[in-house]
Amino acid sequence: MTPLQFETRNAPLWQELETALDRAEGKKPDKEARDKYTHKGKPPPLDGARLAELYRRSCEHLALAQARAYPIHLTQRLESLTQRAHRLIYRRHDYGLARLKHLVLVDFPQSVRSHRWYLLAATLLFAVPLLAVGWATWRDPGFILHLADAQQAQEYDRMYDESARALGARDASTDWQMFGFYVMHNIGIGFQCFAGGLFAGIGSVFFLLFNGAQIGGVAGYLAARGHGENFYSFVVTHGAFELTAIVLSGAAGLRLGHALLVPGRRTRLDALKHAAGDAIVVVYGVIGMLVAAAAIEAFWSSARWVMPQVKYGVGAACWALVIAYLGWQGRPLRGGDVSNAG
Amino acid sequence: MSLDTLYTAETPEGIALSLRPAGLVPRVLAYGVDLGVRIGIYLAVTMLALPFGGMGKALLLVTYFLLEWFYPVLFELTRSGATPGKRMFGLQVVMDSGLPVTPAAAITRNLLRAADFFPFLYGFGVVSMLLRRDFKRLGDLAAGTLVVYRDSVALHGELPPAPAAAPARALAPREQAAIVAWAGRASRLTPARLDELAVLARSVTPNPQGDATRELLGVAQWLVGRRGGTP
Repeated sequence: MTPLQFETRNAPLWQELETALDRAEGKKPDKEARDKYTHKGKPPPLDGARLAELYRRSCEHLALAQARAYPIHLTQRLESLTQRAHRLIYRRHDYGLARLKHLVLVDFPQSVRSHRWYLLAATLLFAVPLLAVGWATWRDPGFILHLADAQQAQEYDRMYDESARALGARDASTDWQMFGFYVMHNIGIGFQCFAGGLFAGIGSVFFLLFNGAQIGGVAGYLAARGHGENFYSFVVTHGAFELTAIVLSGAAGLRLGHALLVPGRRTRLDALKHAAGDAIVVVYGVIGMLVAAAAIEAFWSSARWVMPQVKYGVGAACWALVIAYLGWQGRPLRGGDVSNAG
Repeated sequence: MSLDTLYTAETPEGIALSLRPAGLVPRVLAYGVDLGVRIGIYLAVTMLALPFGGMGKALLLVTYFLLEWFYPVLFELTRSGATPGKRMFGLQVVMDSGLPVTPAAAITRNLLRAADFFPFLYGFGVVSMLLRRDFKRLGDLAAGTLVVYRDSVALHGELPPAPAAAPARALAPREQAAIVAWAGRASRLTPARLDELAVLARSVTPNPQGDATRELLGVAQWLVGRRGGTP
């Protein structure tokens, strides 16, 4: 068959596919096509089965045209048609609220548990400097000067001072402002912990150690200066979400780094892609937890009228909630039907 | 090693689709446009938010956060698969299978921007793009995405009309393809260059004395299936 015969015979089919694609992609039909439909009213609805058939035929034609070295303008036309149809047909549709619900109830906690060794490593990287520096500054408040300059240390004093009531004096609009600040600042830190994993994990390790030492320093310093109750009742509730989220994003980053360093039986690049696909599910959860933490930090933690004992109680409940959620949520029913549990 | 940077992706039907990855310069320009758009949005929100005190400042900070991290995600998940800047330069983000970008991949590639940005001004991202044939930055590598040109350039057009004439000898498939491809480029080459190339194929034209271009165009017409006289 000559190229001309091939083109004449199949052109109507390509034209049909092109029109269907235009409609599916939401392009306005050209004048000619519109005129055709004016006497029939609305154009007929798009037929998915017909589209799939047209797509398969055009794939076939493209393969033939390539194998027979038909003129390039012909091959190109087929190629662009096939490409457009391919994009349309293999597009994923399962996004939306149901997917989000599944993510929150099943995927995220499951994904966290599947990263448990990374989580352990990240927890150690974060908690060890936190406790060590915390202990050091508690013993000797001057130790804080290794981490912050004197002016900053005074600032910490002022913020949590009993008499200054720096936190209690806040009104609703300041709460909102602080919420915005926490969202921007803390989620940024979370993302950095994750992205740092791309440098063989070194970035994640650094951010975990750094943030651990920083937070430990402040906590130890304030405890030593006698502002312990103010500080701990402030951080205990949102810390459940915030500290966990930072450790989780660090764990996701470590996963990336580990995939690069020890790719196993894949190529490094392939291992990285695979790891990123898993780790990003953890990061979704991290975003949610950090937004929750920012809201709690801005509107609950700073409320001076709440007794510290109440805050400790709520804080403990939040920690228990977070740990239980990450530890048990989304497990398949024991002995249950797998199809029901999924 | 071929000179062009075509990237082929295979579909489940066994068809190889060619994608044309976009290089550093159009992507930097697109980034510049996006930066302008982001600054514009931020300034507009500032105007709106200023009278509202603390609430307004919260709005401003959250806007800043969303613009920094989620502006590209949002636009890449629209049907065009491109931020306004990318759209302006005819670019699009796709998966490296040629499919539209998935939410997971869009989020991955944009969160890992922080790694590309390191140590300053997208240092690692630029180095990675310059070193790779498919111009992926680190975020693209991890997410399995590709920035490509949306439209392909039509270098080849219809064959110009000429009276069809059978070639002087039997032609191998490669020779046939070369002659048809030459004829397809007739509208883009200067007549002199077209003729220069046609003279090289003198041995296949039936009439060695005639105008080389016209003769060879005739052969091309014959090869695509036209027979006899003027088209």
